[in-house]
Amino acid sequence: MIDFLSRRLAAALLTLVLATVVVFAIVEVLPGDPALVMLGTDARPDTLAALRAQYGFDQPLTVRYLHWIGGLLSFDLGSSHAYGTPVAKLIGDRLAVTLPLGALALSWALLVAIPLGVFAAWKHGTASDWGVMGFTQIGISLPNFWFGIVLVLAFAVTWRIFPAGGFPGWRQDPVGSIHALILPALALSLGEIAILTRVTRSAMLDTLREDYVRTARAKGAPERTVLFGHALRNALIPVTTVAGLIAGFLIAGAVIIESVFRLPGVGQLVYDSINNRDLIVIKNVVILFTLLVLVVNLAVDLAYVALDPRPRVAA
Amino acid sequence: MSISRRHLIGAAGAVSMLPAFGPEAWAQAKDKVVIGMSLEPPVLDPTKNAAAAIRSIACPSIFESLGRIDRNGEIKPNLAESWKISDDGKEYVFKLRSGVKFHNGEALDASVVKFSVDRLFAAESTVPAKSLYTDIEKVEAVDPTTVKITLKSPNSYLLYNLSLGDAGIMHPKSASTNDKQPVGTGPFTFKERKEGDSITIERFAGYRDLGDIKLKTIVFKVVKDPSAQVSALLAGDVDTFPGFQAPELVERLKKDARFAVVVGTTEGEVIMATNNGKKPFNDLKVRQAMAHALNRAELIDAESGFGTPIGSHFAPHNKAYIDLTKTYPFDIAKGKALLAEAGYPNGFEASLKLPPVGYAQRAGEVLASQLGKIGIKVSITQLQWPQWLSEVFKERNYDLTIVAHTEANDLDRYARDGYYWNYNSPEFKAKWREVVATTDFAKRDELLKVCQRIVARDAVNGFLYQLAKIGVWKKELVGMWQNDPSPSADFSGVYWKA
Repeated sequence: MIDFLSRRLAAALLTLVLATVVVFAIVEVLPGDPALVMLGTDARPDTLAALRAQYGFDQPLTVRYLHWIGGLLSFDLGSSHAYGTPVAKLIGDRLAVTLPLGALALSWALLVAIPLGVFAAWKHGTASDWGVMGFTQIGISLPNFWFGIVLVLAFAVTWRIFPAGGFPGWRQDPVGSIHALILPALALSLGEIAILTRVTRSAMLDTLREDYVRTARAKGAPERTVLFGHALRNALIPVTTVAGLIAGFLIAGAVIIESVFRLPGVGQLVYDSINNRDLIVIKNVVILFTLLVLVVNLAVDLAYVALDPRPRVAA
Repeated sequence: MSISRRHLIGAAGAVSMLPAFGPEAWAQAKDKVVIGMSLEPPVLDPTKNAAAAIRSIACPSIFESLGRIDRNGEIKPNLAESWKISDDGKEYVFKLRSGVKFHNGEALDASVVKFSVDRLFAAESTVPAKSLYTDIEKVEAVDPTTVKITLKSPNSYLLYNLSLGDAGIMHPKSASTNDKQPVGTGPFTFKERKEGDSITIERFAGYRDLGDIKLKTIVFKVVKDPSAQVSALLAGDVDTFPGFQAPELVERLKKDARFAVVVGTTEGEVIMATNNGKKPFNDLKVRQAMAHALNRAELIDAESGFGTPIGSHFAPHNKAYIDLTKTYPFDIAKGKALLAEAGYPNGFEASLKLPPVGYAQRAGEVLASQLGKIGIKVSITQLQWPQWLSEVFKERNYDLTIVAHTEANDLDRYARDGYYWNYNSPEFKAKWREVVATTDFAKRDELLKVCQRIVARDAVNGFLYQLAKIGVWKKELVGMWQNDPSPSADFSGVYWKA
């Protein structure tokens, strides 16, 4: 068990180090001059040069890389060039929107998809099963930004029970903030619900064919216990894997959904930073997300161990 | 670890129990207005960053300049109540308004103005608009309310440039923190900023003349996505978009009785910028051929009909404007003939690099097909804005691009060395020197006409149309600016009709 975890941890660390190199390289080769973006088309060459020197853009690549890594190791993320705000504060403020949004969307997805998948597997081959499959087909095909716009038109413009967008802020209005995240989370989760429903259904179909399920039924266990107690627990392993992967997609989807719903989240921050060539923000956000995905993957590995003892031994 | 149905139902119940409140914006006081913005300003100090959004929020609402540019584009007194210009055009003496206070309580006097103007052209200055002020030789505080500015050489645009937000007067004590905590002399003080969401300003109780300042609170809300802009208006989250960016969605808003859609002018000339330094575009005949291929009506249709055709690099609402759209009238046969004369009977291939802005995206395909009709095979490349700035604007590595030049009085770009069009005309440069040097504004207008003709005749760029300003606001909101003579935020005289 310890061995399994330490190996996973070492791999995650190595990935992180490699990621810093790749992220740095990609961000640095992005065409575009941050000083020119800040000063615009009337900027004089001497002004541009002065600003570049001020931000250290004229330093050699290795110096800039080491400077950045040194900052990361001492938990100093530096300051945004465009906003002049410390990057840590900038990211912290935005995570306060994106993390709850992602968590809400993932909860939605799990809450709807697992029962729906179990139901479809239970009703395998019937009209209900076909109905659920049809729904997932639509869910996968609809772009989530379009679904978001439809939700806004229905719930915000016509019925006015949800705001059309914006975010009041946790401190100013906590209830209003949750309220503002419901529609975006719904829009964000649609595709994930569809995928997770399909995965749950097929995993359930596999486990329902297993001997132990037949044994459980044979010994007279109620159908509810058979489905949720015996079959679902095993079926949850692939579902957990996919849910972990989906967490990454949710972050990517958040860029678009945050724009439709005007949420000041990390997705918007990345988008704006790329457009402003705010290199230090892009680098740090991407590394933070890499870290997040690694942590989610580790958590998924741990969840396997909890759900199924076999990897503990096999690894 | 098992999931029972009871747990599932419990969790679902918790979510559905959240209260369903309506948008706060419904309960709107009559002295608060929520203004939608398409772009978010990175900082709020116009001397730190070139973003137009800064000027559309903070100038002159927070930072005032010596003069101000009114809704008709005229220069009016502001912090300077009057000025005198010497006959040789090299000395400007400004008489400052007395009793003006900054938001932090500091007083405005000549030494503050000297500090502020010195910053604009100082050797180590990183002010984005520095090039507008480098003709200044020195600034002197003659007495507490008199400032004398001496120029190295006359510049007939100095007064205009000193009235721009770029030359907002700042106090030495707050100048370094104005990016986050802007402090000026304007009618509004900065209240708070929620990055990525909104910026709020409030009426400054110590303002010298509150008679015209009816609004108490102005919230600038950032809504980038065009369809989100429409929903924000329809849902009542935003009262107005003074510069609505999606012409194709205007019809939807026109049908709504709550809104007024008011179309005005901007200083933005949309041009097909052409690399005059590169073969085959260095050949006048090729550029003339392209000019004959332009069908401006069709290009304006792509903007849903918004925009006014132009034949030179000059705004139609300017009183020195002359209509030059017929210099090279739309004529495919003529265009083909000129290309053949230039040695390209079968046309040639060219690239069109587009920045990620709505008008360029909408015009790109149309323009490519128009040039195709005279045999120029255009391939379109999409660029991000920073990429466009570096690749097209700075390195001049391009054939054609589409961009709006939104500065006022920007005909001077044709006299600049090393500007991205690579246009070099001694004739134009000489004329432009006369424009800048003259102190007689009537004579300047005549000279400007000559300059427009030179640029049109040389077909330096493809001159397409003047960008329209589409303003959308609630019908009860009175006094919003119809035109956009310079990116600014002047809310004097704006109020809610009871």
